[in-house]
Amino acid sequence: MSHRYFASVSVLAVLIAVVLFALVLAQAPSGDAKADAPAKTWNMPRTPDGQPDLQGFWTNATYTPLERPKDVTKEFYTKEEAAEIEKRGAERESAQTVPGTIPDVHYDFTQFGLDRHQGTYASNLRTSLIVDPPDGKIPPMTVEGQTRVAERAEARKRRGGPNDAVQNMPLGARCLIMEGPGPPMLAPAYNSNYQIVQAPGYVMILVEMIHDVRMIPLDGSPHLPPHIRQWMGSSRGRWEGETLVVETTNFTDKNPFRGSSETMRVIERFTRVDEDTIVYKFTIEDPSTWTRPWSAEVPMKQTVGPLFEHACHEGNYGLANTLAGARAEEKRAAEETAKKESR
Amino acid sequence: MRTKRAVVFAGVGFLLAAVPLVAHHAFSAEFDIAKPLTLQGTLTKWEMINPHSWFHIEVKDPAGKVVPWMIEGGSPNQLIRLGVTKNTLAVGTAILIEGYQAKDGTNKAVGRNFTLPDGTRLFLGGSAPGALGPGSEKK
Repeated sequence: MSHRYFASVSVLAVLIAVVLFALVLAQAPSGDAKADAPAKTWNMPRTPDGQPDLQGFWTNATYTPLERPKDVTKEFYTKEEAAEIEKRGAERESAQTVPGTIPDVHYDFTQFGLDRHQGTYASNLRTSLIVDPPDGKIPPMTVEGQTRVAERAEARKRRGGPNDAVQNMPLGARCLIMEGPGPPMLAPAYNSNYQIVQAPGYVMILVEMIHDVRMIPLDGSPHLPPHIRQWMGSSRGRWEGETLVVETTNFTDKNPFRGSSETMRVIERFTRVDEDTIVYKFTIEDPSTWTRPWSAEVPMKQTVGPLFEHACHEGNYGLANTLAGARAEEKRAAEETAKKESR
Repeated sequence: MRTKRAVVFAGVGFLLAAVPLVAHHAFSAEFDIAKPLTLQGTLTKWEMINPHSWFHIEVKDPAGKVVPWMIEGGSPNQLIRLGVTKNTLAVGTAILIEGYQAKDGTNKAVGRNFTLPDGTRLFLGGSAPGALGPGSEKK
């Protein structure tokens, strides 16, 4: 083999590589911030029984809002705009609040590493997590849905003020369930971490906040009978190609999702698209609450484990303090009234 | 110590796009906005617990009497992930706390700012934001 021949083959190989690379870039999806990164060869990791391997530690922390902001009409930001939003979001998180205002009556997220900027989060060019309806907004509520929301508010009022009945206090403050463990899984304010473990016939999702767990059978077994309602519903999974599809029903009225009914059905789709990312899509079907189904797409980024304990009940001094504070305020108010009456 | 920052955004869209962080309960229902305080004390115990950590300190009152206080802070999980342990903050550490006292009038407060004697803010080394580095959680 002559040097000249070898050199021409090398030049040809480089040219082919450049053309292929350009083609790959041109075909890359535009919704993902990773689209501009050079395409690398990546093979779906598999469990010993051949399933796509979703196992590990993931976070769905994001600066992208669920619903598209009012003044934004496009579906995607440019890379520069998205970077600016993340930067301003991080500045806002670490900014000092104004003394004597409600937001100032709080510890500092930054000091406890809880602002998103100090942890792992997925960059996203989307202007909203909601991808359907195309306007990026939750569809209008049905009359039935509005009536139900009003009735729930009425029932709360009958029980008294926010700190008069334990049922009136937020579920999170009572350490029963936090916002966002799912389904659908949406990032809470912090500790937005999940662990996925797969075993033959099952997928388990552990949520860091209050260590909620979903054990999802993949064996085609039916959902729980209708009279059994659970805080996180009854989930059943199956593989559709490389995507894990999880359907959840049997929700309870005690833990509505944005005004949902207990007949809500949630369909989740988990697709690992590279070493560091699972694209998580969910669709909400609840015709008694919303005029049409709606769907969102959330990137989940690989993070480091383990998940740390969140033994919420054990340390929830805040609940007792809040109740004690409310009683002290009532006492003060009663004393004021008595003083006025005695004058 | 406290800097009032009015951040004005050019685009309303940008402002709305930043998801506000919300706590798991209303701190203004637990602590009194009308009772801001500054406490200079020494640490006797740090409870690294959830949903929120608690710092136990001893504070000398104007008469020289030592009074115990409990100060509420944030969930410790992310600190642990960032390498902070129970030994990071030694018992006896002097600490300055600005915060708001509990509504029930007891010696409890939320710690808006935790500051060490050398002026650095606790856990931050004095260079917030991102003192621990963006994405530092990810190896």
